[in-house]
Amino acid sequence: MRALFFLMVTGYATGAAVALGLGTGPLARWASGLAAVVGAAAGLGLAAGVCMAGTGFSLAAPDLLASAGGLAFRLDGLGAVFLALTSLVAAPSALYGVGYSRALDGRPAQRQAGFMLNLFMLSMSLVPLADGTLTFLLFWEGMSLASYFLVMTEADRPEVSEAGQWYLGMTQLGFACLLGAFLLLPAGGPTTFVHLRAAAAVLPTGTRDLVFVLAVIGFGAKAGLIPLHVWLPRAHPAAPSHVSALMSGAMIKMGVYGLLRIGLDVLGGGPAWWGALVIGLGALSAVLGVLYALTEDDLKRLLAYSSVENVGVIALGVGAAFLFQSLQMLPAAAFALAAALFHAVNHAAFKGLLFMGAGAVLHATGTRNMNRLGGLIRGMPWTAALFLLGSVAIAGLPPLNGFVSEWLLFQALLPGIGASSPLVAVLMVLALGMLALTAGLAAACFVKAFGITFLAIPRSPEAAAAHETAWSMRTGMTMLAGACLFLSAASFAILPRLSAVAAPLVGLPAPGPVLRAGLTLQTPDGLAQMSPGIVAASLGLVVLVAWVAVKRFASRRPLRVGETWGCGRVVQTPRMEYTSTAFAEPLRRIFAEFYRPTEDVSIDFHPDSRYFVQSISYRSAILPWFERYLYAPVIARIRLWSERVLTLQSGSVHAYLAYLVAALVLLLGWLVVTGQR
Amino acid sequence: MSPWLLAPMQGAVALMLAPGLVGAIRWMKARLQSREGSPPWQPYLELRKLFAKEVVVSSNASWLFRAAPFIVFGSAVTVTLLVPLLAVPLPLGGAGDLLVVVYLLLLGTFFLALAGLDPGSPFGGMGASREMTVAALAEPTMALAIFALAWGVGSTNLGQIASRTLSTPSEALAPGHVLAFAAIFLVTLAETGRLPVDNPSTHLELTMIHEAMILEYSGRYLALIEWAAALKLLVFFSLLGNLFAPWGVASVITPGALLWAAVTLALKLLALGGVIALVETHIAKLRLFRVPELLSASFILALLAVTASFLLR
Amino acid sequence: MVSQLSVGGSTLVLLGGLMMLWRRGVAAHIGAFTFQSVALAATMAMVGWFAGDWQLWAVAAALLLVKGIGIPLLLKRMERRFGSERELEPYVNTATSLLIGGLLVLLAYIVTAPLVSVSRLPTRTGMPLAIGLVFVSLFIIISRKKALTQVLGFLMLENGIALLAVLGTHGIPIIVEIGVFLDVALGFIVMQVFVYQIHETFESIDVEQLNRLRE
Repeated sequence: MRALFFLMVTGYATGAAVALGLGTGPLARWASGLAAVVGAAAGLGLAAGVCMAGTGFSLAAPDLLASAGGLAFRLDGLGAVFLALTSLVAAPSALYGVGYSRALDGRPAQRQAGFMLNLFMLSMSLVPLADGTLTFLLFWEGMSLASYFLVMTEADRPEVSEAGQWYLGMTQLGFACLLGAFLLLPAGGPTTFVHLRAAAAVLPTGTRDLVFVLAVIGFGAKAGLIPLHVWLPRAHPAAPSHVSALMSGAMIKMGVYGLLRIGLDVLGGGPAWWGALVIGLGALSAVLGVLYALTEDDLKRLLAYSSVENVGVIALGVGAAFLFQSLQMLPAAAFALAAALFHAVNHAAFKGLLFMGAGAVLHATGTRNMNRLGGLIRGMPWTAALFLLGSVAIAGLPPLNGFVSEWLLFQALLPGIGASSPLVAVLMVLALGMLALTAGLAAACFVKAFGITFLAIPRSPEAAAAHETAWSMRTGMTMLAGACLFLSAASFAILPRLSAVAAPLVGLPAPGPVLRAGLTLQTPDGLAQMSPGIVAASLGLVVLVAWVAVKRFASRRPLRVGETWGCGRVVQTPRMEYTSTAFAEPLRRIFAEFYRPTEDVSIDFHPDSRYFVQSISYRSAILPWFERYLYAPVIARIRLWSERVLTLQSGSVHAYLAYLVAALVLLLGWLVVTGQR
Repeated sequence: MSPWLLAPMQGAVALMLAPGLVGAIRWMKARLQSREGSPPWQPYLELRKLFAKEVVVSSNASWLFRAAPFIVFGSAVTVTLLVPLLAVPLPLGGAGDLLVVVYLLLLGTFFLALAGLDPGSPFGGMGASREMTVAALAEPTMALAIFALAWGVGSTNLGQIASRTLSTPSEALAPGHVLAFAAIFLVTLAETGRLPVDNPSTHLELTMIHEAMILEYSGRYLALIEWAAALKLLVFFSLLGNLFAPWGVASVITPGALLWAAVTLALKLLALGGVIALVETHIAKLRLFRVPELLSASFILALLAVTASFLLR
Repeated sequence: MVSQLSVGGSTLVLLGGLMMLWRRGVAAHIGAFTFQSVALAATMAMVGWFAGDWQLWAVAAALLLVKGIGIPLLLKRMERRFGSERELEPYVNTATSLLIGGLLVLLAYIVTAPLVSVSRLPTRTGMPLAIGLVFVSLFIIISRKKALTQVLGFLMLENGIALLAVLGTHGIPIIVEIGVFLDVALGFIVMQVFVYQIHETFESIDVEQLNRLRE
């Protein structure tokens, strides 16, 4: 396993070096991409090794950064899951990136992109491996900064620099909170997680609560929980698509990893309100995320909000685990955690796939606006089929992996209704209701995303001229689609491993609750079961029988292709199709209390007569609650204070010299005063 | 008799009964409206006619348009294999529970909506948009009603829920049960496109939801979709019948018991069909933006069902 | 058995209150109130049967007469005089009101849990629903604009309290019940006078118009 670890690090490092050194042509692109794939494969192997063998892997490197305490690495079950998840998305993204960055050939940005991509993947892989405060924070910040530079790859567009600002601000806010949390855990001596765990056991409850809250804010900002999600819909569309896939698929899961590591592993769980807080934030993120996604016309923003929704769903499972653990319902806690981990892995697979598909669309047509797309299924059949698979998976429809993890989450939350405390029971009922609402709305959202983008008639000439993408991009997408199918079919084998990972974190002995009976998944009490494989097989069998029967017994007349009937209308133009805005309109009206839509219609009449309309312009916007009522006042307040502080910078050299002298005098005075005591 | 033969048998029985159910409802509505009406076996004749007709496909449509009817039909038939139509120890019970049933039906709706968008007609888009809205809003109710039922039994497994009511008959009138029945009844109206949510016999553009999505279909594809819609209605009715009043369902797999189960199933279907016919004759269609009120009301009923289960534990 | 029936009866009573939130139109509201009073009378009779208390039967009969028949007739007369104006949209739309109603019931469940655990009576299981009705009636009073609907909300509040008393203590002494009835009747007469006066002054029974009195 040490070999795999070094192979992983070397792979990514080589990729980075090659990107810098071999120029800006296809050779550098391919070499850095393939080196990254090797690194990712090694990472996946390492994670699989730890999961299968059951023993951890550790490596201490006290000589690196020795003055600050040295680096240390350890991979246990929890870290292995997240490392596997990262590598799962990293390999296809790297391959996809090879084709996608062809547009940057010959420009210096190519060097930066390749270098930062490998650095990003390396830091992100090392975060679950980190053992100890310094290592963790170092690679966490490395991950954030590398992704910032990747987001700014096309910095000439104004939206990109704005996105970068938001992103940097939110990550640094998160980092500050994390720093606070880690520093509150007593640091005397080495700071590996083993020592932190021991130290946390003797902390007073007030400090533990504070550490947890800081961890929720810091890791929640990275994960994209409401109300700290505002960077997601800005950064994801601005970044190149394989970077968005990595960010959405892997990076935001690092927030979940951090919360689990600090909250459950180091702090060892806490009072019930911890779980309730996470459940509340999760439920809110889930519902609001999907509501925002529904009204988006920009394909990548829609996918970004959908990531917020899925992080909310994962947080529901994580919060339930915390809650059940505090109520001593340990098998239920382990189950909830295993379900949440599985959803994290599933989401990495299908969200990565969807972002890559969106990138392919952007690459082929030059636009992300769904109102200008359509009919792409003809020009890009592979991409369309793969995007369809991803949409069915993320909508949580059987028999794919999204449905499996949703089923597991439903079953995991169900025991909460029987809890003795009525508050907990009511919370669980509300959480279940919101989870179900989210599932339904997500299905609606992805009918819109796939249907408007790929089906019917192209709504613009760019869409009509779309062509299929490079084979490297298609291969990347196919790999993730295969992963989705694998995760669903092999769920009966994967769940027991996840249960074994989850059990020690909540306090149960190693194998954990039994989640498998042969080829079916079952709940810990053995009462409810489900088998995605059998459902898929039945479905396939029925469709096959139906197809054969219809071919045999139905009319032999050949199929005729004609104009769309449309109740007898003669001409069918792209202007008559439903647009993305129109599709979401009923839901926008129903949830108008939340969206507070504003409409602006301006009509240009013909100068000679008001009966003839020359053009109509329609603009509609929804109220951005968080930006307007939470962030804008905060930002305004900070700006106000900054301006006050600005007065110190008077520009006069005398003033600066005076500051120096004043500071010196104050320092000497202070030393005198404290020395005398 | 091998239990594995039971699943295809259930599927066959469902396929045979479903068009008859639709026909019976139409006939009952006609009689209630003082009309002669077509005979109850009319849908069978319609299906036969449709299968023999030529298929016309829009030039704007893609392969999805031709594949969707099979997926919709397939999901509906797969669901009939999972619900307790005839017997309670279901052979595929370990493969799918009530949640799987609900989401398989949602799979069918998903593809039907996509097929509505494919030809590029505004009717299809409108139907797809409205259908997904109604389906999304019906989900929380369905989930809570399922959990109200499941919680008493401790499992979402359909066979277990039905067996529980069989073994303790007084459970059938428990307030939680009755409320869950009412909630699922309202969801049935929404999901199967019955008044007051959608009018199954209209073709006016402003009033159709299901019909709008399938407007471009013809011939065998239309036959498959109509059959799938009838199957969906049958499935919901059998859930209402066999989960809440499971008497008649076979607990041993002998030909006699199965025959009796089929007869009682047909009776329950007719009874529920009669109720639907009455409801449809008395109520006018709600405009689309009043449908969420109906679905909120059913959500509250489901919520009260869960509360009633809490209170009685 | 008693527990199940008491939960069933209380649910029907609560549903009457929730129907007020769902249906629009004063006629439907009066119908909901009638349904609720009849369900309440039936629940009281059921509790009276199991507790063997004939006084409860008398109270149930009185309730049926007064609130199930008498007051709805009076209200229908009032409606015929004043109700010819258009439908008024409530402050909160229907779907949201229903959801808030549901949340209030859940809140009532949380709040009443200690009370339920203390009581030993078999009918205690319905008490949270009675408190839920109290909350829902208060919500009706504050969120509806027509004075008639607010009067109905107040009467439903009375119903909720009566239901709570019956379920929690198996009935209250008949003296107290008569006193409460008189209270209600007096309050009702006062309200009738008010509604009449409001209509005379503003030609409408939209309570928002009372804001104009400030000028």
